[in-house]
Amino acid sequence: MDPMTFSIIRHRLFRIVDEAVITLKHVSGSAITNEGHDLMVSLYRADGTLLMGGVGFLHHLTSAAEACKSIIRRFEGDIHEGDIFLLNDPYTAALHTSDIYLVSPIHHEGRLVAWSACFVHVYDIGAVNPGGFAPQAPDIYTEGFSSPGIRLVAGGEMRQDVLDTILNMVRSPEMVTLDLRSMIACNNVARDRMQSLMTKYGAKEVDGACAELVNQSEDLFRARLRELPDGQWQSRQYLDVNGETARVNLTMTKKDDRLIFDFSGSDPQSPYSINCTKWASLGGLFAPLFPLLCYDITWNEGVLRPVEMIAPEGSIVNCTRPAPVSVATVGAIQSVNNAACSTIGKMLGASEKYRNQSTAVWHANHFAIFKFGRNQKGGDSIGILTETFAGAGGARSFADGVEIGGEIPNPISRMANVETVEAAFPVRYLFRRRAPDSGGPGEYRGGTGGELALVPHKAPDGGINYVISGKGSRHPMSEGLAGGYPGAPNSYVWVKAPEDGANTPVTAAGGLDAISGTQERVSWGVYPLMGRDALYVRWNGGGGHGDPIVRDPEAVRSDVAAGLVTLQSAGDIYGVALRDGAVDETETMAKRKSIRSARLQQEASE
Amino acid sequence: MSGQDRISASVAVKEGQAVCAACGHDLGPATKPWKDHAQRREIPLAQAGGQAYDTGHEGVLLRHFYCPGCAALLDTETAMAGDPALDDILAERG
Repeated sequence: MDPMTFSIIRHRLFRIVDEAVITLKHVSGSAITNEGHDLMVSLYRADGTLLMGGVGFLHHLTSAAEACKSIIRRFEGDIHEGDIFLLNDPYTAALHTSDIYLVSPIHHEGRLVAWSACFVHVYDIGAVNPGGFAPQAPDIYTEGFSSPGIRLVAGGEMRQDVLDTILNMVRSPEMVTLDLRSMIACNNVARDRMQSLMTKYGAKEVDGACAELVNQSEDLFRARLRELPDGQWQSRQYLDVNGETARVNLTMTKKDDRLIFDFSGSDPQSPYSINCTKWASLGGLFAPLFPLLCYDITWNEGVLRPVEMIAPEGSIVNCTRPAPVSVATVGAIQSVNNAACSTIGKMLGASEKYRNQSTAVWHANHFAIFKFGRNQKGGDSIGILTETFAGAGGARSFADGVEIGGEIPNPISRMANVETVEAAFPVRYLFRRRAPDSGGPGEYRGGTGGELALVPHKAPDGGINYVISGKGSRHPMSEGLAGGYPGAPNSYVWVKAPEDGANTPVTAAGGLDAISGTQERVSWGVYPLMGRDALYVRWNGGGGHGDPIVRDPEAVRSDVAAGLVTLQSAGDIYGVALRDGAVDETETMAKRKSIRSARLQQEASE
Repeated sequence: MSGQDRISASVAVKEGQAVCAACGHDLGPATKPWKDHAQRREIPLAQAGGQAYDTGHEGVLLRHFYCPGCAALLDTETAMAGDPALDDILAERG
């Protein structure tokens, strides 16, 4: 194929995915899709293998490929133009039940030539807890509607009986309908554009370009791997749930042009819904791999070929049915993602050529908090606190992490405006801001996470309730690199108002301690936010890079002035003395010398 | 190994040996866990500095690995008591 035609077709594939994403957002009406960008659209070849990974949550690129393959197996000989299939069973391919895949075959001149697949986190899936994350679910059977594959649209016509059956099992069916229709519109646009592409260039020519594109990605990725050092890097993640701690252990081995992710030694599957299936783990490790190692390579099947995953069956990263998995995306999947990010960051840091691509772990700990209840307009609302998508950047080998900088597995993640949330729910924000000391200290500091506080406001029922799947308040999860500290852990606090009815003024400057009342930590389950109570959340910063006591003292001073680092941490961790807002160089030198001396007075290594 | 000269930004490799990138202190063969030759300190996370690490939970540790020569902080790990150190090693040169 001539390179011009190949290049044009490649770019057209990118644009098709982009246009499909835009369509999805235009039709969708939920904040988690439009504001949080908890979505994904990708294209697949006729056999279901990944052709063009799109933006959104990258964990889904490989899982949706498996969804396509599963539909091909299940409906062999009965797949027709205009069909759309729904799949959300985690033990078949999906990550958890509330992330529904709609998978559409693309035909050209009567022949199946490709697939498009997309997902959104639907408004509700009928699990025991509203919103899809179900910390109270003991098994998959209580995590809502789940299908290993069902035809939702037949030959372009909605199967109303199927749709009605699904909607009969969920809360807020009108919103779930909108979610499903947004995905149908998205897939329709992808299909139409792919058909136009084939009409213009010919199906055989386009398929040839697709095959070449996959081979090109494989060749480029293998070449990159050969440039990186051979070795073995380890990472470990702790997930704390309800007082129990589970480990995800990873040893990543790179040899020549192969990469092996071995999760042997990870803990057995949990009674809590933080588990994930093997398809989800595969997606979890590829989510950081695509952007960190293949930022200039098309994300498709070719990138998958040099990679092997070992995930022991029955473990938290390859659980067996009927283990609950509804919190997987912020549970084991995210830990797999974090561990892979850490080991890849270490490997890049060991390369002279790629050391500046190395990064500490970004936003390692989502907090899934779904508010639900009657809103100020008398209707019912369910919705996630989209601040969980706000994230924080890990520090790099040459620069600080980005404050509230998003996350690696979703290049387009973002959070809703405060006003958007207040318009949809009977709540008011007391504050939302960057959280001091949340970024992991280092020569280069991890980006700061944030903190917020909510109170009920004009709530017809006196407030609302919320489902919280909040792990990560015990263990830091955003690991540092090369001596950098981890980002600070999350914090979830229920502030119970004083019984005497006194109101203490709350200001943004005051933070948690300015909110009057008794503080009680919460992390897992369903809780009320009623009356004059408040909910406080702090989310983690990114990991740091390098030794904190070699950080430029002026940078520490600037951080303190901006409220990103406290005076206490400036002295204790960075060894920087500030006087009247300026660096005291003499005292700083003395302080850092003292820290070094104290380090060498410790016991010798084991 | 394939010609690279570092294990991380803080641990370099010189003639097959892992060395402190700051002072050159020998940390053993690059193909073996260098942390065995580092000075190790293990503290409760709450004592790591600043209020943000003081979670109110016990049992979480922050490990520091220092260069015995110059006291540079070479690596950190979050850990629970008894969990092994994380080993990062380069492969034998083929």
